[in-house]
Amino acid sequence: MEATPSKSRPKPSPPAPQTPGSGLRRSLRLLCTPRTPIYNSDPSSPPKPAKQSKRSLLESLSFSTITPNPPESKRRKKSGPDYKIPKRKIYFKKVVYDGGEFEIGDDVYVKRKEDVESDDNYLEVEECRICFEVGISVMVECDDCLGGFHLNCLKPPLNKVPEGDWFCGYCEARKMGKVAELPKPPEGKKFKRTTKEKLLSSDLWAARIESLWKEPDGSYWLRCRWYIIPEETAAGRQPHNLRRELYRTNDIGNIEMESVIRHCYVMNPKDFFEANNEGDDVFYCEYEYDIHWHSFKRLAEIDDSEENDEGAGNDDEWKVPKDSDSHTYEDSEKEEDTAMGTKCQPHQVAANSRRGRVFGLQRIGTKRIPEHVRSHKQTELERAKAMLLLATLPKSLPCRNKEMDEITAFVKGAIYGDQCLGQCLYIHGVPGTGKTMSVLSVMRNLRSEVDAGTMRPYCFIEINGLKLATPENTYKVIYEALSGHRVGWKKALHYLNERFSKGIKVGKQTNHSCVLLIDELDVLLRRNQSVLYNVLDWLARPHSKLVIIGIANTMNLPEKLLHNIGSRAKNKSLCFGPYNYQQLQEIILTRLEGSGAFEEQAIEFASRKVAAMSGDVRRALEICRCAAELADHRLKQLPPTKKMTNNDNSAGKCLVGMADVESAIQEVLQEPHISIMKTGSRLSKIMLVSMVHELYKSGLSEITFDKLAATVSSLCSSNREAIPGWDTLLKVGCKLGECGIILCEESTRHKLQKLQLNVESDDVAFALKDCPELPWLSKYL
Amino acid sequence: MAAEKALALLRSRLCDVSFAHGAFKSSPDSNYSKLKFIISNSIAEGCNNSVLLLGPRGSGKIAVVELALRDLSAEYPDMICMIRLNGLLHSDDNCGLKEIARQLCLEHQLIFSKMASSDDNSQFMLDMLRECGLAHKTIIFLLDEFDLFIQGKQRLLYSLLDAMQTLSSQAVVIGVSCRLDADKLLEKRVRSRFSHRKLLFVPPTTEDLKVLLNHVLYLPENSPFPSNYVKEFNSRIKSILGDKKFNEALNSLSDVDGTFSNVLRFLYQAVSYMDLASGLLTLQNFKSALLCTQKQPKLDIVKDASVLELYILVCMNRLETKEQNSYNFNSILKEYNAIHEAYKTSDHYSRTVCLRAYEHLLERELICFVDGKGRHLSTECRPVKLLISFSELCQGLKSNSSCPAILQKLLDRESFK
Repeated sequence: MEATPSKSRPKPSPPAPQTPGSGLRRSLRLLCTPRTPIYNSDPSSPPKPAKQSKRSLLESLSFSTITPNPPESKRRKKSGPDYKIPKRKIYFKKVVYDGGEFEIGDDVYVKRKEDVESDDNYLEVEECRICFEVGISVMVECDDCLGGFHLNCLKPPLNKVPEGDWFCGYCEARKMGKVAELPKPPEGKKFKRTTKEKLLSSDLWAARIESLWKEPDGSYWLRCRWYIIPEETAAGRQPHNLRRELYRTNDIGNIEMESVIRHCYVMNPKDFFEANNEGDDVFYCEYEYDIHWHSFKRLAEIDDSEENDEGAGNDDEWKVPKDSDSHTYEDSEKEEDTAMGTKCQPHQVAANSRRGRVFGLQRIGTKRIPEHVRSHKQTELERAKAMLLLATLPKSLPCRNKEMDEITAFVKGAIYGDQCLGQCLYIHGVPGTGKTMSVLSVMRNLRSEVDAGTMRPYCFIEINGLKLATPENTYKVIYEALSGHRVGWKKALHYLNERFSKGIKVGKQTNHSCVLLIDELDVLLRRNQSVLYNVLDWLARPHSKLVIIGIANTMNLPEKLLHNIGSRAKNKSLCFGPYNYQQLQEIILTRLEGSGAFEEQAIEFASRKVAAMSGDVRRALEICRCAAELADHRLKQLPPTKKMTNNDNSAGKCLVGMADVESAIQEVLQEPHISIMKTGSRLSKIMLVSMVHELYKSGLSEITFDKLAATVSSLCSSNREAIPGWDTLLKVGCKLGECGIILCEESTRHKLQKLQLNVESDDVAFALKDCPELPWLSKYL
Repeated sequence: MAAEKALALLRSRLCDVSFAHGAFKSSPDSNYSKLKFIISNSIAEGCNNSVLLLGPRGSGKIAVVELALRDLSAEYPDMICMIRLNGLLHSDDNCGLKEIARQLCLEHQLIFSKMASSDDNSQFMLDMLRECGLAHKTIIFLLDEFDLFIQGKQRLLYSLLDAMQTLSSQAVVIGVSCRLDADKLLEKRVRSRFSHRKLLFVPPTTEDLKVLLNHVLYLPENSPFPSNYVKEFNSRIKSILGDKKFNEALNSLSDVDGTFSNVLRFLYQAVSYMDLASGLLTLQNFKSALLCTQKQPKLDIVKDASVLELYILVCMNRLETKEQNSYNFNSILKEYNAIHEAYKTSDHYSRTVCLRAYEHLLERELICFVDGKGRHLSTECRPVKLLISFSELCQGLKSNSSCPAILQKLLDRESFK
């Protein structure tokens, strides 16, 4: 794109200045509004009144944006090219406007357009609700009406800011059902509302800056994404909404810089609860609101979106979405006008096609945010379950440090320096030993090193063999990752060959060295090993700059390859052995840190059991989770009165004990066929016993139905049972065959059908030895 | 009028499998409450889970799933999205992924394209899982005939279960299979990703059956039916259920197959025999229903067979006892003629008539060609095998009214040999 002064990646917004005041009042409950002291926008500003609550004092009231000739007061901060091309928008990353610094990604208050009367200054310091003075003394904020009160204006006056939630007398009175009017302001003095209050009563807007530019005529513009207050949504304010909650919308507008008032801080839940020094203009935002479909969606995790931003930024130049003519794939990723786009377009894109994924998924969302998600308080057990989930990434990954160091050393060694000779690392080990996880976490660490500038940039491509439709799709995926374009696999192979052997550029950027992770490598192995041959052959090409990390379960994969391929792969291999019980225990304990739900012994028992079986950490985690689920089920089934007492008792002791782990292991390892044989019908029992009987007699595992039926009827007649018809027996045999207890041919062969036991004959003996309804069976076992 | 309505009510109950399983809703150890707990956990706590339901056919696996889902979607409206796959239809990986994409599109009113590649579809599935997780929507994958998904590379299962443990979405994979060893057949890396929760469905015990019968057969007290009719109907049912003969009938039914579906089928049959004039069920209804379930199709065919067909069957039996392992129509005809010569029977038919009877037997599958051999030969020359056993043949001949005495004698002599 033309005139791209700023490089893409938005920096994290500057940390808000520290407040001089301390001893802030923060309520301890998780879902409360964090109350924060003063936001001091300028350290050099006059000393503030020692006011306890938030309220930032802005030094200049000239901020009210009526500045007629902006250019003087603006200067470009991080400018790109110095030459100025007229008739062209110039994009900035950061603009200083009227003494305020505005950056992409910042949140700001915006004037409503119709709001002509510009309610004098945009008040920064809140007045006391009782005495209507700004005053110097400490103020406290009500957690319900968000009004501020001087400590000594209250009746009775408070000495210090209370811990926990505090509600003003008026709100409490209102809750009791009484009518309590806040005192009226004295004559001649109008009560001034703070910016926050104006926003929450929808007299102002809040928005997030997406891009900033200067028009050819010299005016400054910004493109922003609006925030919305709960009252303005279709669902209205829901009971679980917080006072300071906002929704991010997918509505994007272009506004002039003039209507921007000043900064505010809209935070995701995690930051919000940790925030304590951002002042009054702090808002909470957990959901995105779709203005077209009136639906809510949780905002994706913040790291995710950052990664996306990064990806977009690194892959292609910073593209500022122009009008719709430059609709390349990368553009549309920025979610511009997508909802509008689909509406206007005469033919709509299918959601499961490639472009549709970007457009179509906007529609998914809930009409209302379900109550249970917000107001439900996690119990100890539920927290433990969430921590044990495989999908939750633990903070630290113990027990694989040595292997991770080795991988780090390998990657660093391979892409160190300019030459980057092709290297290959083969990682093998049984499932659930942390192979992929280790590699990915190494890659994350290296990524941060690249960001810090201590390492040369490289690109990282991840492929999973089992997720490809055919092995040949490997080329397609690699090429797409390198260039961003999609072509057929043959073409992709051609381009890739050229890139690796001749160094012809793929895509726009220079050829970095490339780390290719192939998970489940053995799936790419077909009889025709061309894919693996090609991939491994690139390593030896002069311009490859390729590093391959292959992961598979089998140890001897390089030996299985054809000779000429195998020699290329035999470079280096790393084995991930199964975890032993101490390691498993450590992994589970680190995950469960801070939770007292589990008995220590129970964890040890589970890990010993799994270590003895497979050493699969997934299995160990699942067993623990299953145990927690069983315990939870047990507790929730208790009648409510009992539950109360039980909770009181168990507050101190662990909730998941040995018995739960035992039954979880039972469930995982249970042999369903034994209990099915035990509970089966009478005839099926007789039939199984006669099969075992015949097996002992003849020693042959196969028996024809004809012979079996004869045995069954002889057994029945000698034990005074009703002799079943052959068709009935055939039906019973089919039932057993369906369950996989016996193997049988299709039943049209009738008496010629061959049958065979599919379970151990000892299992049958064990299950049916002491059967209460047919005691004579044990004679034949 | 009341009788017809009562019949309709009973029939609709018996056809609705989830109604029958509703009898066990309240007990905390039932599979219903366990499964419901697992799914509702996933919904309320926003986590992924997978569970396998195992049990013989007809033990109510799908019924329990449906019941649990019906209750849950009433509890959490608009938050559950069902994807149903069947191993018989979608065991092919690409086809399965496409079907998932299609149903996801359908549920969310998105446009579906048949042309999308398998990679696109799997990417779409991942995106949808993530988006639905963000929107607090739970996707439930119900994989019926789970064992059939295990053929091949198991790419579908791998990508589903792998997504389960990498994405923080909320989805539940429910595998339903009657193969008890279904989870052992999983490939090791797929198995490692599977959560190994298993619910076992076993046939009902006698107590369970009692609960089921009470739940299904009694007419409701406060119903549109006249109250004296309800009273009489229910007292009649009570006396039937307490009857010894009824319990015997029930036992002989569950001796063969005691699963829920078989019992329900039996009850349906019995209810259908209800006398509409009186509008009451009798013990006789249940007895005749039991007879229906104990039909022996092969014997019935022999019972209705023509005399010539019986001759052919007996000849074949004679040939088999002579340990001639391979024989065809020609050798059967030779045997038939030999019997005719020896005993001077009155039933002698020409070759073409015999051939027609022989073909008829082939159609009824009392005899069949030995497979693999002589496929190109004509019907007369292909080797055949007898499909019914000797004892069945004896019984059949006895019950056949037109069976000539000589055939019985021949067969009896054979059994002494």
